Amino acid sequence: MKLISCIIRPDRLPAVKEALFSAGVTGITITRISGHGGEQDIVSVRRGSKLLLQFHDKIKVEMACSEEFVDRTIEAIVGAARTGKVGDGKIFVQPLDRVVRIRTGERDNAALTPVTSDEVQKHSMHLAEVR
Amino acid sequence: MMLLTIARRLRTSWQDPQIRRYVGYMFLGKAIGLGLVLTLMTRWFLPAVLGAQAAAPAAPAPAIDPTSIVNTVNTVWVLVAAFLVFAMQVGFVMLEAGFARSRESVNILVEGIVDTCICGITFWLWGFAFMFEPGTPFIGTTGFALQGLPATYGTTGVPLLAFWVFQFAFADTTSTITSGAMIGRCGFIGDLLYSVGVTGFLYPIIGHWAWGPDGWLATMGPIPFHDFAGSTVVHTIGGAISLAGAIALGPRLGRVFKRDGGGPMPAHDLILGAAGGLLLWFGWYGFNPGSTLSAMDTQGIGRVAFNTTLAACSAGLTALFYGYAKTKKWDLAITTNGFLAGLVAITCPCYWVSPSGAFLIGIGGGLVVVWGIDLLEHLRIDDPIGAVPVHMMGGIWGTLSLGLFATGKYGAPTPTGEDVSTVVRGLFYGGGAGVLKAQFIGSAAIAVATFASALALMYAVKATGTLRVSAEGELEGLDLHEHGTSAYPEYMISGSESVMIAMSARDEAA
Repeated sequence: MKLISCIIRPDRLPAVKEALFSAGVTGITITRISGHGGEQDIVSVRRGSKLLLQFHDKIKVEMACSEEFVDRTIEAIVGAARTGKVGDGKIFVQPLDRVVRIRTGERDNAALTPVTSDEVQKHSMHLAEVR
Repeated sequence: MMLLTIARRLRTSWQDPQIRRYVGYMFLGKAIGLGLVLTLMTRWFLPAVLGAQAAAPAAPAPAIDPTSIVNTVNTVWVLVAAFLVFAMQVGFVMLEAGFARSRESVNILVEGIVDTCICGITFWLWGFAFMFEPGTPFIGTTGFALQGLPATYGTTGVPLLAFWVFQFAFADTTSTITSGAMIGRCGFIGDLLYSVGVTGFLYPIIGHWAWGPDGWLATMGPIPFHDFAGSTVVHTIGGAISLAGAIALGPRLGRVFKRDGGGPMPAHDLILGAAGGLLLWFGWYGFNPGSTLSAMDTQGIGRVAFNTTLAACSAGLTALFYGYAKTKKWDLAITTNGFLAGLVAITCPCYWVSPSGAFLIGIGGGLVVVWGIDLLEHLRIDDPIGAVPVHMMGGIWGTLSLGLFATGKYGAPTPTGEDVSTVVRGLFYGGGAGVLKAQFIGSAAIAVATFASALALMYAVKATGTLRVSAEGELEGLDLHEHGTSAYPEYMISGSESVMIAMSARDEAA
């Protein structure tokens, strides 16, 4: 089991979400973050004075995957988030010791598998139709 | 110590021939500029402003005694109304910023302020002359920079400058409506360029047709075109320019339309948006009742204020229930746009219709705005706040509705009361289709002429490459890209306090 966290451009989020969902990864956590990487600082203006904004707004997406999902998750993120310019972000993969699903008490890989990914997809389609 | 250091630095720099050359260039440039300004001021500007004022022909005797209480009352009325209309600027920037994303809010605020400033200058120098002074049926040709004009405007008895302030507020409203459909991707230089075009040329010239003393629509026979407070002149013109701008710009990046499985982009502050809408409603009480230019027509201003209220109420409810029927939710944005469309629609007929007429006109406005939003969505035109459905389509409906609902009981306001010698009677009140035909000609001529010339203007600005910002700038947000700040700077994690030092160190190194 791996914990994959990636830092992406905010405007790539819809594409990355689509790519992850179609790769079968539907359990994701998203955070708004700020950080510093290789990008140039933005010059900001505050009532006539120039200031540097060192930190850029980014989005952090985290997901826990069983081993066989790791590679295709990474491929999905890279394919959707890449623009080819500095500041596209990074992917970090870390080992996971233990996973517990709170509702059932299931452990590890059983807890990682979505109820079924098909049902999740069907539910969102259903919601869209109702709307 | 400090002074010594500076003196030493000056001495060392002065020995550098390159720096000496730059200082020389700088002073040469300043001398040329100063010379130009002085020449212009003495040769052209001062004689135009001061000399002409002294030589202005004696004002013809106004229609009524300027010292009488009547003129005082009317002037105060017009000015109070003008101030209320100006308050609509606050409403517009709140509404637009609230319904847009936070990353383009500063841009909306700066545009609202700068458009107002541009409008004031152009309307003083030539806009008022184009619009409200005699000339040809298509454009006014006298009174540039308000020179050589009588002390009061026309037969109103209202001082020229008070009338100017009232009309400036109207012109400014048009200018702000224009930016509504262009939010989020329009570059700031492009905005400045087209703003001069809108407030300096499109609005005054086309407005002259309907509101100029000798405009061809105002003097058209047998029944002239009527537009009491500007459903066509202000709102259709503003909305049509907005539509041309949205078409020339194209949608915002990432905007997916309903038929492609998407929907409108999120609003960032609905509280701001709804409060701005209500403030606009408040400002409309200056916009419509003030257009009598006379507080002596007491029945008139009461009726106009009443009709304005009723149309807004019925339009808001119509849009609310229509929206509910479509989505099963009580939609704030649709309701706000709905009552605004009702206000736009009643702006033209407010003086000539009865309460039941105003009620029905409001219902029409509420329907038109929902259809208009759907139509733009279907045509894949990105209008972030609904400026085109509310102002252009609502304005066209309101203008036509006069031809249906005019009761035939009311004529025109005069400085001393009501004049019912020629009344306006619509189709539903046995007046035949004459008024409807005049309204159709006026509305169609102005909408088509405005849209065509605005399209030409927008593509001309587009050809300079300043109309739309770069894709990077748009994704970063116009606020940071064009103005260097966010509307909520405290919420950004900036790390800038330590950076001021770093930056000055970098400057010194460079």
